[in-house]
Amino acid sequence: MAVPLGAFIAVSAVLFFIGTAGVLVRRNAVVILMSVELMLNATNLALVAFSRRFGSIDERGSVFVVFIFVVAAAEVAVGLAIVLSAYRNRPTVDVDQIRQLKG
Amino acid sequence: MLGLIEPALFAILSIAIIGAGAGVVLANRITTSALLMAFTFLNVAGMFILLGAETIAMFQVLIYVGAITVLILYGVMFTPQSPRPYGLFFQTQKFWAALFVVPIAIFVALVSFAFRDSAGVGPKGGDLLPLATSVFRDFAFPFEVASVLLLAAMVGAIVLVKRDED
Repeated sequence: MAVPLGAFIAVSAVLFFIGTAGVLVRRNAVVILMSVELMLNATNLALVAFSRRFGSIDERGSVFVVFIFVVAAAEVAVGLAIVLSAYRNRPTVDVDQIRQLKG
Repeated sequence: MLGLIEPALFAILSIAIIGAGAGVVLANRITTSALLMAFTFLNVAGMFILLGAETIAMFQVLIYVGAITVLILYGVMFTPQSPRPYGLFFQTQKFWAALFVVPIAIFVALVSFAFRDSAGVGPKGGDLLPLATSVFRDFAFPFEVASVLLLAAMVGAIVLVKRDED
């Protein structure tokens, strides 16, 4: 007996909202980056599940997953660079204290 | 008996994914968060294998469990912080965040069970051949654009963290 498609999508949705909650409630910028990665990975899970179980013939969904890998790698590299340069200005990664631009 | 292996694996993987994902958000040591994130990625790779997408699972292990986790751990290492009470790990808006996120999450998780496997899609073969055919034939131009994006991100990261006096 195979696991139904809806179960995979449900796990993906739960993981996505765990990531959303992490972005919204944590103060540490590095943990916020990790939560964004969790959200991207949940999206990958949903795309692969639809591609394998819902699609007709080809693997278009999995192609999107490859591009999401690329964008996630670029995002985490630039994001960590921004966090490090902000840390160099003031030694904190607390997003509540990085507010020099706040009027 | 043999048919129960796949649901059992799915149950173990989903419990591990959700538990480790919640641990990423709730852990009070940031190194614990990073390692739990790697564990989540590893279990998602197991989920990909369960779906029959071995190539994507391999990419997942190489890129996420390998590269991105190491990058995040470097970020943790370069931003040392003094220890602080656990209550200060969360922002003041956590109540409002929970109020908005939890109902939507429950709704979406329940609605997602409505998706059914489309009839006629039998067990397919491996995903390497169709994936490679799609990437290098129909999506050849976006693939090249993605390489430009990676180059731009690499140059941007170097410029952002470069010290001025160098």
